[in-house]
Amino acid sequence: MAFKERVVPTIRIGDSLLVPIQIDLDDKTVEQLQTQLLAEIQEHRVRAVILDVRMVEVIDSYISYTLTETAAMAHLMGCRTVICGIQPPVALTLAQMGIELQGFLVARDLEHAMGLVYSP
Amino acid sequence: MDGKLRELLDIPENDFDVVVRISREEDIAIARQMAKQLAQELGFSLADVTKVATAVSELARNIYRYAQPGKIMIRKRPEESGGPAIQVVAADRGPGIESVERVLTKGYTTHERSLGIGLSGIRRLMDFCEIASEVGTGTVVRVEKRRRKF
Amino acid sequence: MDNNLVEMLVEELEAGSKHEEKLWRELLPGVVSGAAGNNLCETIREPLFGLLHELGETALGRKLKLVIERTPTFPVAELLPLILDLCGELRHDSEQAVRELERMLSELATPIIRIWTEVLLVPLIGGLDSDRAQGMAEKLLDRVSATRAKVVVVDVTGVPTIDTAAGGFLIETFSAVKLLGAEVILTGLKPEIAHTLVKLGIDFRMVAIARDLEDALRQAIAMIEEDRSRQRKIVWARGSNFPGECEGGERDGI
Repeated sequence: MAFKERVVPTIRIGDSLLVPIQIDLDDKTVEQLQTQLLAEIQEHRVRAVILDVRMVEVIDSYISYTLTETAAMAHLMGCRTVICGIQPPVALTLAQMGIELQGFLVARDLEHAMGLVYSP
Repeated sequence: MDGKLRELLDIPENDFDVVVRISREEDIAIARQMAKQLAQELGFSLADVTKVATAVSELARNIYRYAQPGKIMIRKRPEESGGPAIQVVAADRGPGIESVERVLTKGYTTHERSLGIGLSGIRRLMDFCEIASEVGTGTVVRVEKRRRKF
Repeated sequence: MDNNLVEMLVEELEAGSKHEEKLWRELLPGVVSGAAGNNLCETIREPLFGLLHELGETALGRKLKLVIERTPTFPVAELLPLILDLCGELRHDSEQAVRELERMLSELATPIIRIWTEVLLVPLIGGLDSDRAQGMAEKLLDRVSATRAKVVVVDVTGVPTIDTAAGGFLIETFSAVKLLGAEVILTGLKPEIAHTLVKLGIDFRMVAIARDLEDALRQAIAMIEEDRSRQRKIVWARGSNFPGECEGGERDGI
């Protein structure tokens, strides 16, 4: 995939794909991101996507939904999704809103994420 | 028009510190940023700042998707008796909600992506939540959160 | 003449302690002399404050009344605002003390202890009423994140009752901890509480439960060991895209 088509810069680590989310996600960018990820998963035979949300300060129901959607898409491509870097205030807000993130393995940090990628 | 609705729709914009009209998707992020800033200025904890910003994000997105034209109005109330508080009013001239009760209970409605998590989730994040709505006229949501003592 | 009056008053006032007597001796010359104005207030402010502290409002009022009756030149007009001002200051000081105590209470009530590498222990004490509980949850999450804790043991032995609200709060906190990638072990549930929780329909099945602290620690260590051995296998497993790599690791005797 040509570099300029990528809306989010991703990093390949072995057969995992690290995706740092650093921008405000809106309808357009979500669409682009999902398309980009699916293309990369196929092109590089990725077995796991690691979504790094350290820079995300607010996760509302819409963002949760799109992340869940993305994980479901990856799953259909035979890929597991790990989310890492949820900030403490964001974790508390999500829990208190009663939002569950479905379809993810949750990691403390990148090292943990890599461990989860290869766990049975 | 419902009395409560009229009362809430009549609150003048000048009473508020910030008014954000929601018409483009970017306005959601703007409303969120403003809420975050005002909450920080009031000395809310980081977690509470996040909760306020998230609630405003929900309210703004609801307007953007289903109830334009609408606006988010935010004001600081530093002198409240219970302690400094932030108040947010989301007002729109959208289709209105038929049954506010039904939307508030955490059941998923036909619009699963829409109001379902939104309003009931918002209520759990804030200390006070009031909704008035009339089909064909619009909806006003007023929420408040005060700064915690500890 | 004035000195005699002062001595007479001191005797009549029946000071309860040497300190009190000393304060009266500092205060009385000024008021007995009949001088007025700001200077007077300056000189008597300190001993007056001291007496207020020492005697409290009621006793001081009573004794001052006695002094006023004996001293026709007593500057009542000057003294009244001064006394009100001092009472205000006293009240402000005690409010300050209360705030300090409240802060200390919130610190003490939410200790978070590192009992093992990457294992945190949170002994909850007292009721889980909103403000304090919220503060505790925030502090816990920050700590879990900062220390990269793998397991959080929550001990509710010190919580007398858990109602629906408290139960809901605990569940939310556990969910949040898990969103930080850590495991939760709950312990310290008393039989009555276990009974109530199920009756209330509060579901704690999303967390591991331990009989007691010893059991909790054992489970926590087991979780960490499992995590660690998994990490070791990975080092050997990388480089291949297919399942079966873990078997390779095992065979190499990790």
